Amino acid sequence: MKYFGGCDVGSTYTKCVILDEAGKMVSDVTIRSRINSEISAKEALDQAVAKVDGLSGIGDLAYLIGTGYGRNKVPQAQENISEISCHAMGVHVVDPTVKAIIDIGGQDVKGIAIDQDGTVLNFAMNDKCAAGTGRFFEAMARAFECTLDEFSELSLSAKNVIPITAQCTVFAESEVITLVGEGKPRDEIAAGIQQSVAKRCFVMAKKAGAKDHITLTGGCAKNKGLKAAIENVLRIKVTELPVDPQLMGALGAAEYARQKGMEQE
Amino acid sequence: MKDLKHLYYFEKLLEDANNDLVRQAKAEGRLALGYTCYHMPEVLLNLDGCFSVRLRAPRTGSMEIATYYMSNATCEYARALLERGLEGGYKFLDAMAGVDVCECMNRGMENMELLGVSDPEKKGFFWCNLDSPCSDDEDCVAHLREQLSRKILKPLYENYGIDVSDAAIRKAVERHNEICRLITEIGNFRKLDNPTITGYEFHILTLATYVCPKDLVVEKLRETLEELKTREPDPKKKFRAKVVVVGSEIDDPELISLIEDSGALVVADRFCYGSFPGRQEIVLTEDEDALTQVCRNYLQTTLCVRHCAQHKVQKRLDFAAELARDYHADGIIYEQIKFCTYWSYERALASHVMHNEYNIPTLSIDRPYMSRTSGQLRTRVQAFVESIEIKKIKAKKNREVK
Repeated sequence: MKYFGGCDVGSTYTKCVILDEAGKMVSDVTIRSRINSEISAKEALDQAVAKVDGLSGIGDLAYLIGTGYGRNKVPQAQENISEISCHAMGVHVVDPTVKAIIDIGGQDVKGIAIDQDGTVLNFAMNDKCAAGTGRFFEAMARAFECTLDEFSELSLSAKNVIPITAQCTVFAESEVITLVGEGKPRDEIAAGIQQSVAKRCFVMAKKAGAKDHITLTGGCAKNKGLKAAIENVLRIKVTELPVDPQLMGALGAAEYARQKGMEQE
Repeated sequence: MKDLKHLYYFEKLLEDANNDLVRQAKAEGRLALGYTCYHMPEVLLNLDGCFSVRLRAPRTGSMEIATYYMSNATCEYARALLERGLEGGYKFLDAMAGVDVCECMNRGMENMELLGVSDPEKKGFFWCNLDSPCSDDEDCVAHLREQLSRKILKPLYENYGIDVSDAAIRKAVERHNEICRLITEIGNFRKLDNPTITGYEFHILTLATYVCPKDLVVEKLRETLEELKTREPDPKKKFRAKVVVVGSEIDDPELISLIEDSGALVVADRFCYGSFPGRQEIVLTEDEDALTQVCRNYLQTTLCVRHCAQHKVQKRLDFAAELARDYHADGIIYEQIKFCTYWSYERALASHVMHNEYNIPTLSIDRPYMSRTSGQLRTRVQAFVESIEIKKIKAKKNREVK
């Protein structure tokens, strides 16, 4: 049996997926990214490989593809593919009915429209700004003195939304601290934060040409409050994926590796 | 490919506005005339006894002081120039030939003048802010001619004794044309199936012709052209797609390098500080004075987005498509420096029209003045390259099925 790997070295988390010849996911790993992309990738790959009986090291993978910001630092990878293409393919593999993705990673937000075969039709992406990304939510959770998981559920109980006017992560954190200091309800402030990010996602999705059958990927896809806010802003139900949405980049890379590895035979 | 013999030499010339050749020419007693924009006819700044330096701010870091004077919602190019000017980087200049073509450059130039970035010891120094027309009819030609006569040629003659006669202008045009012929011939190697010059290398050469005295770079350009005639391309193509880059000013070759590192070979350049327009010969006749013909040439050849008449907009779209066809490009990257008002309109419209009406794959990006460290930009370009590759594979499969 041959195995194929995809390693998504993101700015905050590194994900690794291994597929067998039939495309079945036999191993997956998610670890916090280190400052050095190569070390992050090696750690994730070593852990993923250790979970598969037929593999003794990274070199045993028949084909390996890197993706994410550290995509060109993945050791022993045959090639690298942008995370935009990989997320599209990953989602297509787990749910071919999905036509568009909002990918919210550690330092960027992307809107991606998917073609029928899992390739990218169109995409839009933020520039050098952390507003509305994983880094943004980390800063907000810090301002609320709670964990990311607690923060993601906080807005769900809000009866009102207190709009956050600042787009910049630094200024938004300052605005939130002011609002908390004024004694405003925490869940309503949290709902305002989720709404401001949802609006940014709306822009990316529209720019990419997304219309329906949208799903969320990336670490922030697990944020329940954000998902609810996006559904509210986009006025459509977001499709739930049967696999951890944070793994879609690595899964897409592994699927490309599987296709290329099988073609080589 | 084997490195070009003089590439490092040309790269070094771009590390500082006051580079080795500028210093050499100044030591010979020539005047250095700064300018920023295509609308200032470069050829008139290259009369005997003087030479043009198109201003850049290489290795720009913090722009705090310029931001204080201009606000952060202004073009970073204009701010970078102001910052470098305030740091003393343009004190070698003997005149500043500015043009009132956009609000940001206007403000940048005004601040430079008010804040005194020129050398006070230079008694003949003059500032100019040329009013450049937005169209190309004969009234506009006459207006530009009057502006140039009064704001450039007159002070050059009165302050420095430069010969500004018709014969002197014709001589400067001849020198200019020689550079244009060389750059055009070098650029034609980009039309090859496997080009023997990269977009980065070409941009380095082109930039050098904007920032150095022409006569001092011409010999090395000639040698480079000869070298290219026998240069062997890489046996296996290093690029995955060919692109045309269209947009606002790019004087940072690292941006072209970033695009090429992401898999897209830049085969044609339609941006300020590039070769289209700017490195095409100026053809003069004997029927009319040279100055009028120069003015007409610049107004008619400009592809600047401030010329917003419909036929000009259409001309720019057609030209971008022509470049893609002539240079066998797979797509176009429309780029815009942040806060450039003109290009923010043009980029949004043109990238849509190119994709939907001309059927040319198009990527639209905005960028800071210095963008070499932008991971997001790399991802966008690589994803664009991948989408072009996939379209090619699909098209090939469809042809096989038929």
